[in-house]
Amino acid sequence: MSPARADRIGLLVVPGLAYLGLIYALPLLLLLLKSFRDATGAFSVEEFVLIFGDPLQRSIMARTLRVAFLVTLLALLIAWPTAVVMRRAKGGWLTLFLVAMILPMSLGVVVKAFAWSILFRTNGFINQALMGIGLTDAPIRLLFTETALVIGAANVFLPFMVLPIYAVLQQQDPNLPDAAATLGAGPFYRFFKVVLPLALPGVVAGCAFVFSMAVSMYVIPSLIIGERQQTVAMQIARSFLFLRNEQLGSSLSTILLLVAVSVVLLSSWLAARLGARS
Amino acid sequence: MLDAGPASTPDERYLDVVAVRKSFKGVTVMDGMNFRMARGELVSLLGPSGCGKTTLLRIIAGLMPADEGSVILAGSNISALPPHRRNISVVFQNYALFPHLTVAENVAFGLRARGMSKADAVQPVREALALVRMQDFADRGIAGLSGGQQQRVAVARALVVRPDLLLLDEPFSALDRKLRETMQIELKSLLRDRGITGIFVTHDQEEAMGVSDRIAVMNAGRIEQFADPSTLYASPATPFVMDFVGLSTRLSGRVTGHDGALSVVQTPFGTLRAPGHRPPGAPVMIGVRPELIRLEGGAEMNRVDLVLEDVAVLGSKTMLQGRPADGARLLCELAGIRNGKARGDAVSFHWAVEDTLIYDAPDGAAA
Repeated sequence: MSPARADRIGLLVVPGLAYLGLIYALPLLLLLLKSFRDATGAFSVEEFVLIFGDPLQRSIMARTLRVAFLVTLLALLIAWPTAVVMRRAKGGWLTLFLVAMILPMSLGVVVKAFAWSILFRTNGFINQALMGIGLTDAPIRLLFTETALVIGAANVFLPFMVLPIYAVLQQQDPNLPDAAATLGAGPFYRFFKVVLPLALPGVVAGCAFVFSMAVSMYVIPSLIIGERQQTVAMQIARSFLFLRNEQLGSSLSTILLLVAVSVVLLSSWLAARLGARS
Repeated sequence: MLDAGPASTPDERYLDVVAVRKSFKGVTVMDGMNFRMARGELVSLLGPSGCGKTTLLRIIAGLMPADEGSVILAGSNISALPPHRRNISVVFQNYALFPHLTVAENVAFGLRARGMSKADAVQPVREALALVRMQDFADRGIAGLSGGQQQRVAVARALVVRPDLLLLDEPFSALDRKLRETMQIELKSLLRDRGITGIFVTHDQEEAMGVSDRIAVMNAGRIEQFADPSTLYASPATPFVMDFVGLSTRLSGRVTGHDGALSVVQTPFGTLRAPGHRPPGAPVMIGVRPELIRLEGGAEMNRVDLVLEDVAVLGSKTMLQGRPADGARLLCELAGIRNGKARGDAVSFHWAVEDTLIYDAPDGAAA
């Protein structure tokens, strides 16, 4: 291919770039700029100082990070065995698993979150089941608790954890654990020295996906936990829509963005490091 | 290291596989398999794919449970032990090296898994790598190694733990032909020098003959014959062994009578004689190795007249192929390439009566 032709093919990227630049990068940039200005429009970090000085904001940020961490952890604990089973499944079973993973993604997150809120109600299915098997006499408060939020969100984000882990497990030579076993490695040694290290890139990718989605989720906490225990994303929406405090909203957005970007950068650095070894 | 004492019974029955049964989803693939080998022996399990050789290997290694039967190694019953307690190393067909570890770390894996400290493992790892001439690659990753190098690392990794038994699953099949032959010679002398008891699994008869003291020819979950390579070649116990080991010609016929100690067999292209008494009227199969056929011979020899269909010059030898009336193919191997024969020539194949192999006709193949 001549260089001139290669250049012209390169032009194909222009519409995509223009689209992203205009409707995504530009507004984001304006938002970022706004967060570093005070009411008069001069450069200032005053809003950030205010936010970090406010115990309420600090507790909201702490809750957001805690929930995101727990959601990621729970999703990982459920996703690993699921991915292992999928790795061994064949034919129709595998298709069933993949459909079960992918189909719910086509369902709006509002629908799923609302479904969870029905399950978590005082007279909902979970409480009825708990009382039915005699674990509790009176209904437990589930809806509007952090526990419910973590369980619900982990469920919604589960496919984003399962699929990357399944992908790396699937690429793993099935003889490796056998080879380790014949060399004298017991089940734990095999898991921690062979299976897990080789699956780490997938685990890192899954955690990055789920954490960055969980830290910025808005619809799920709105429906499951409500206004009483806010997250940063809910706080951002409130600032813009109800408080009309664009300064607060854009500064919180900047903080959230920084968290998400550092998670992505950290995970791609980790993945590259792990990848370089193998 | 081989024990210096007299060849005691435990050494003769170093590995004893007794009455092993295995079925997959209701289909029996192994029904009462018995297999025994001596300490220090190199044995091949030879057979076509699906004959059960890999199943037997995995059962011995503990990677697959047997439905019934037992595996006894060096006098102790290891049937119930998981693979990591058996001290049986396996070299896998694709080598199964750990891609996230360096060459040295791969070799150290077995020692570290058995609780040896990193520092203590350094010396044995270095020795094992030197043994396979891979010491210069110790700190390299696995990805950049050639097939032959990977195989050497896999062998070093398997040997460094001083296994009681070494199993090799098609270890040469991923290598190209030239390299394969070199590696076979190299590996055989390495294992021999160290007194390793080893089992090769292979579908390649040349490889089996090259690397092992004895060969167990397997077919449909059974051992058809277990013998040293020359016995296997000269006196195959069944038509399957004759077919699978070396080239041969097979002709169908029917016994018509006896001539002294010989059976007289009527075939579509003449009367042949073979050693041993078979009942008259019995459908039989006659076999002969191509290199035992001559173009001249006396009346006391078996003889088939035919027209040459193909003359293939194979370097050190020439393969003549003829097809008499019934469509069976006769192969004659002549040393050298200057024999003046060409396609279309009418010739007579002669071979000694005592070189004739005779079997009961396999089911469905009666003349």
